Amino acid sequence: MSGLMTSGLERLPVVAVFALVMLLAGCGGKQVLVEGQFPAPVMNKLPLTIGIWYDDEFANHEFFDEAAGRAESSWRVSTGQAQVELWDTLLRGMFREVVYMRGKPGPGQMNPVTDAVLMLAVEELQYAIPAQTNVKVYEIWMRYRLDLVTTGGEPIANWTMPAYGKTPTAFMQSDEGAVNLAAVMALRDAGAHFATSFLRIPDVQQWLAGLPRKGDVL
Amino acid sequence: MNRARLLIWACLAPLVTGCVSATVDQMVFNSPTEGIGDASVVILGRRHASDYETEPDFIRCVGKHISSQDESIRIIDELEFVNTLYPWFEPRTAPLQAADLGRLLTHLPVAEKLAALQTRYMIWIDGSTVRNDAAGSMTCGISPGGAGCFGFGTWSNDADYEAVIWDFSNRAEVGRINASATGQSYMPAVVIPIPIIAPVQGTACDSIGDQLLEFLSQHY
Repeated sequence: MSGLMTSGLERLPVVAVFALVMLLAGCGGKQVLVEGQFPAPVMNKLPLTIGIWYDDEFANHEFFDEAAGRAESSWRVSTGQAQVELWDTLLRGMFREVVYMRGKPGPGQMNPVTDAVLMLAVEELQYAIPAQTNVKVYEIWMRYRLDLVTTGGEPIANWTMPAYGKTPTAFMQSDEGAVNLAAVMALRDAGAHFATSFLRIPDVQQWLAGLPRKGDVL
Repeated sequence: MNRARLLIWACLAPLVTGCVSATVDQMVFNSPTEGIGDASVVILGRRHASDYETEPDFIRCVGKHISSQDESIRIIDELEFVNTLYPWFEPRTAPLQAADLGRLLTHLPVAEKLAALQTRYMIWIDGSTVRNDAAGSMTCGISPGGAGCFGFGTWSNDADYEAVIWDFSNRAEVGRINASATGQSYMPAVVIPIPIIAPVQGTACDSIGDQLLEFLSQHY
């Protein structure tokens, strides 16, 4: 009896620490720095020199969702770095030449000469995890705003584009890992959507038709 | 004494793994008569439904099942194939019908990549394994003296998959296989929980893999 009590008391600090860690684990927010590999698109390159301008908000894009109650966790999903990686790889595979702008295209802004400059923004990002829905998938949904402008900042075309990624619940996969995978799928979807729809945007078609010697890209 | 042991084992044996029943339907139009030679096969999961997606693990399982039974069949890894042909096999852009392959092959770089891979058959698998009818309860406790659980839980798993085989050379659907499996799993707990899991997804994987082997392999 005495031995039992002694061994129980010896374990008490360990058990207390374990219980405390478990309690604290429920209090902390969850952070995801989206990381993934994005393949180059397999397609004929358009004979265009395209400029890219990522503003700070896009290049450092992150989404923060505060916990609604004690049972939930707050989430911070940082997609900026992955966004830049995706769009760099995608545009280099789609266009003959890609040039980075020194500043936001506009009157008086000195920039390299290009056929057009693409500017991107994430207008909205939503996520869903199985704890919030009855569907056993992790989901990320984004809406991009795309502006194609001249180096002087005059608009050529602007449009919005949704992107969606999901991943099923997986045994031994953390919520963070699954959200990261869903975000990577959403980014891949964004790339696929852009690559296959760029030439179907009416304003882009009109602009390309007016370019000397480049109307045949359509 | 020996009789008593035998009786105990006879009672416990059915509980070690849960029971699974599987059904397979097959509809094949044009099976290769001499195997597929040097050509390769790619197995892809359908991921365009909103409420489920075909598990990547299941696709890998079917691929492993086929290549382990017939080493002459070269299975291209799903992720490698999708990356090699990005963005044409993403959920948004993947061809939904065999006839769409013609449109895809009008893109010269895509046709060149597919030719390099020597892909003869593309197998699309659509479906998922879901958990239904969970019942029972379990209580776990922790104290300075130790930890333990007590209770009983049970649930059923249902797997339903369909494999569609496309022939790249004819750009046509040449086969369709449907496999479904259902099984009951149990988890009794007296201090330690003992999971008795019905291998539902594994059974569906073996069922589809065996049928695909009959289609692809000259040895079956």
